[in-house]
Amino acid sequence: MIKSMRQPTLQTLGLGNVLEIFLNKHLPANPMDLVDTVFGSGDDRGSLVISGANGIVGAGKTMQLGSRLQPYNVTTVGLDFPGSSDAINKHYPGLVRAFGRQSADQIMSNIVQLTYDGKHLPSELNGLKPRFLLEAIPEILELKKAHYYLFRETYPTMDIRSVTSGFPSSELGAGIAHPAFPHEINKIWEIVESQPSPFTQLLWSLGLIPIPVSDHWSFVLDVLFCGITLTGLRYHQATNMPYWKIDKYIRKHFGPNPFRAHDAIGAKGANFLTWSCLHDLDKQYGELFRPTEDLIEHKDSGQNWYPLNHFRPLVNWTIDGDEEENFLNWTEGALFQMASLMLHENRGHLSHINGIGELCAQFQQGILAMMRKMGSSAIIKRVEAYHNLHPEAAQCCWYPESFDQIESPEWQQLYVNAEHDGKIGVITISRESYNWDVDRELNQAIDWLKNEKIERVIVTGDFHLSTQMVGADTSEFFPALIDVETGFNVSSTWSQTARRLHNEFNVSVGYINGKRCLGGFLELMVHCHYIVSTDEANLGMPEVTLPVIPGMEGCHWPFRKANSTDWPKLVRLLLTGKSILAKDAVGWLIDYSGTVDDSLQAAWEIVSGNTDKFPQKEFVIEALKEIPLDVSLPASESPAMETTQKAILDTIQHSCSVPLSEALNIQARHSADFMTSQVCNEGMIGSECAKIEDI
Amino acid sequence: MKMESENFSKTRIPYGTWGSSYFPSWQSSALAEVNIGQFAGEAMNKILGIRKVPNNILDYLVIGSTIPWHWKFWNAPLVASCLGKRVPGYHIEQACATGLQAVFAAASEIESNSHDIVGVLTFDRTSDSPVGVFPERRSHRRTEVLADVWDNFGFDPATGNSMLKTAGLAARKYKVDRNEVDELALFRYQQYFETKESGFLEKVLVPLEVLNLQGKRLGTIDDDTGIRNLTKSDLRAMRELDTCVTAGTQTHAADGMATLLVTTIDKAHELSTKPEIDIKIIGKSEIRTSPSLMPEAPAFAVEKLLSRTGLTMDDMAVVKNHNPFAVNDVVFANVVGYDWHKMNNTGCSLVWGHPQGPTLTRIVIEALEEAVSIGGGYVLVFGCAAGDVGIAAIFKVSNGGKI
Repeated sequence: MIKSMRQPTLQTLGLGNVLEIFLNKHLPANPMDLVDTVFGSGDDRGSLVISGANGIVGAGKTMQLGSRLQPYNVTTVGLDFPGSSDAINKHYPGLVRAFGRQSADQIMSNIVQLTYDGKHLPSELNGLKPRFLLEAIPEILELKKAHYYLFRETYPTMDIRSVTSGFPSSELGAGIAHPAFPHEINKIWEIVESQPSPFTQLLWSLGLIPIPVSDHWSFVLDVLFCGITLTGLRYHQATNMPYWKIDKYIRKHFGPNPFRAHDAIGAKGANFLTWSCLHDLDKQYGELFRPTEDLIEHKDSGQNWYPLNHFRPLVNWTIDGDEEENFLNWTEGALFQMASLMLHENRGHLSHINGIGELCAQFQQGILAMMRKMGSSAIIKRVEAYHNLHPEAAQCCWYPESFDQIESPEWQQLYVNAEHDGKIGVITISRESYNWDVDRELNQAIDWLKNEKIERVIVTGDFHLSTQMVGADTSEFFPALIDVETGFNVSSTWSQTARRLHNEFNVSVGYINGKRCLGGFLELMVHCHYIVSTDEANLGMPEVTLPVIPGMEGCHWPFRKANSTDWPKLVRLLLTGKSILAKDAVGWLIDYSGTVDDSLQAAWEIVSGNTDKFPQKEFVIEALKEIPLDVSLPASESPAMETTQKAILDTIQHSCSVPLSEALNIQARHSADFMTSQVCNEGMIGSECAKIEDI
Repeated sequence: MKMESENFSKTRIPYGTWGSSYFPSWQSSALAEVNIGQFAGEAMNKILGIRKVPNNILDYLVIGSTIPWHWKFWNAPLVASCLGKRVPGYHIEQACATGLQAVFAAASEIESNSHDIVGVLTFDRTSDSPVGVFPERRSHRRTEVLADVWDNFGFDPATGNSMLKTAGLAARKYKVDRNEVDELALFRYQQYFETKESGFLEKVLVPLEVLNLQGKRLGTIDDDTGIRNLTKSDLRAMRELDTCVTAGTQTHAADGMATLLVTTIDKAHELSTKPEIDIKIIGKSEIRTSPSLMPEAPAFAVEKLLSRTGLTMDDMAVVKNHNPFAVNDVVFANVVGYDWHKMNNTGCSLVWGHPQGPTLTRIVIEALEEAVSIGGGYVLVFGCAAGDVGIAAIFKVSNGGKI
């Protein structure tokens, strides 16, 4: 029997849990089988119809699904009115960039564009055997219902999903698959259906990220994104602060620039969608969501939120500490109240509610992680302060009791989960970048497994929200740019966490199955006794390009595991910042790479103790000798990179030439010192920090 | 007998909703480098924000400026867009009287029941004034070169004289003594510096940070730059440019903006930070005096206004004027019989400079704020304008029933 800290998110898709993937040595859903189920098999294979195919959503999803279904011989039909501007072919250059010309041509050849008058379906559709309709027509309820009626009348067994961002499934009479912007690349789909369907599982098996949410007016993403836009509008109403400046403060405190995003998406359409969601939420829940006059005006006019280029802002608005607190009362207070509603209505798995903000709405930290950090009494205080400013909001949908369970594992393990079967444990990480939240939750997961007497563990992604491991969340380094002790704390604390994977388990296996594992996450994995990867995963240490010095022992730990003859490869990896394929790293950086099924099997065998084929490398805890520092490299791309390369070489030399017991501090000190340097402050992290903090 | 006019009975100026930028001397600040119409719109929005007035309450905008600025064709609606509220409106211009005329133009919108809350926004940038060419078929060159500020400072096409010349002519007409002019100028400087020291200016002037195209700080407008702290001997040593006119006894060109609201009685009550303070407009007069005697014109305008309202100078709690030349004040004192020491208590344009459009608006704001600070009373504001024009206006500030 498998036990877990909290429910694995895979279960919400009907796909079991992560430990079972390793136990079964293959993924729980096979795209070919699911394509057969959804679109028919063999000669009976039918097509996917996307209506409103020339809209922003329709065209994006035609690309995303068309490219993924073409290998399975599923034709994508793009349906729209005559005279619609051709948004599908506009995506062709992007398709070429992503897949190459030949594949792009094949994908486009498999897309059939048809027109109709809205009342009659084109006769050509019959020959294409439509099996599944993804409706992406305008957000008008009656229009959508009539549209489904038209299809069901002609094709009674056809399955339908709407991309709507606002209407519940119960109102529409169809399931919902609500995708996130930018539609051609964002993998997230909010799904509303009574139980996980083959279509939803197909999305997962095609590498997309379906997320089940409850059937309420507007879904999690729209409540968050339209909600944060509304908080900005209300602050504008109260203070006159221009939208461009409100964006900067929202970005500083939350992550997104909602007004810039509206303009970037296309103000006309985006303003309407935001208004539409808020208008429906207002009708359902009341004043908290009521659109402001400004939004209505912008909806009607399609006007941009930012001034045009020739009127770039002239007069600055900077607010002091008290006013910033007022800003947070308006924004955070309202947002927390909206979150209380979503929690009260059980709108989704907490990791999902939290993750959607980060993955789709540019939240720097998920809404629940943000609230968790504050604690329930501070959350309630903030909402009450908001109610003082906006008393009408206090009269509707405020559920402070939603925070009663804030200490539960569901709240406390938003990013990291652990499962075990009594012998073997799996730690899953669903955040693509490592931050303090992940660090804390990882420690809690290790504690839990240790408490459960688990001595063998696999560390991996969650096979759901996280499709890659991109390294450290560099925004966590901002305070370290000016305070060396903060930098030391980041580096040493995270390294100590990573060491637990080495020190506290008999066997630990880092399993890499996503597109890439870079920087801090690769350093974390390197601390495991073994690393197993799929062949095509990219591995790299891009810190030199940022520039920073790898802070989680990347400058000495892998050297202690590798043969001395392979040390030059490690030095090159660190000094160039270039990634390599996992299959080219076997033997000196990782222990095995293979297909998905083979690598799952290898990981399971290793963690189970069947290590005959996978002898563990010697790990040297004494000082290393003769690390080669004169690796031939191409000339540095910039003086900053040259300086960083020297600093990294210095770190390698100093941290390798001492015993393991001393190396952590040396590495952390080098990393921290470098973060306060001019080179680092003028680099990508410094610039990003200035952009966000210096407003 | 006090004959308060009923002409502006519906109109009020809400206390605490006004503000002005500092007036940096020309070419000395970031304002020399920006589109002043855009700056004024954005600055007004910020001032309203600081005063807790949401910009969405505005329903009309009267703008005033005298120097062409880029896209001025688009007028008040464009400036309104820059301040973030799309309302209609128009532009008004009467040289140095613009800042006062704009207030009355706004008042007429209220009195005629056309609008409820009218913004008055005046601004000018004398720095780098527009230069250009203009077809002038009757000139021997057929196309004239224009330099908007310089051309008009130096030459009144109706008389052939410069502004400065009018001061000299008036000084001679009234037999003004250079010693008195220097003494007056020194006194005006002292008034300004004492006011600045007292913190009074912070009630009406708002520091504004100006951004460059990249969104970085271009400069901060937080001082009336260009003001010299002169001594009597400094003034005495200055060369006379015309009779009684020296660099120290005349104003300097500046850049800036100023704004206030004009509204109904009810709305003023809602908008004011101190609703108990009631600010009425009593009346206005204008006259045009003999050619090239501009400095005497304001005195005649004041006489006319007093006569029409039945008020006397003794009724005035605050007296404040636009005085591009110190001669103006000496002539005023002679004509009206008023002690010039009792006026311009918080400073004046002689000292803090003259951006033209907003000058008299700032004077109105300072005068009203001063009246509030002393418990209310009648406020006389006046000044001269190009074309030998004098303009005067009286306001009444009632402070919580005290007046």
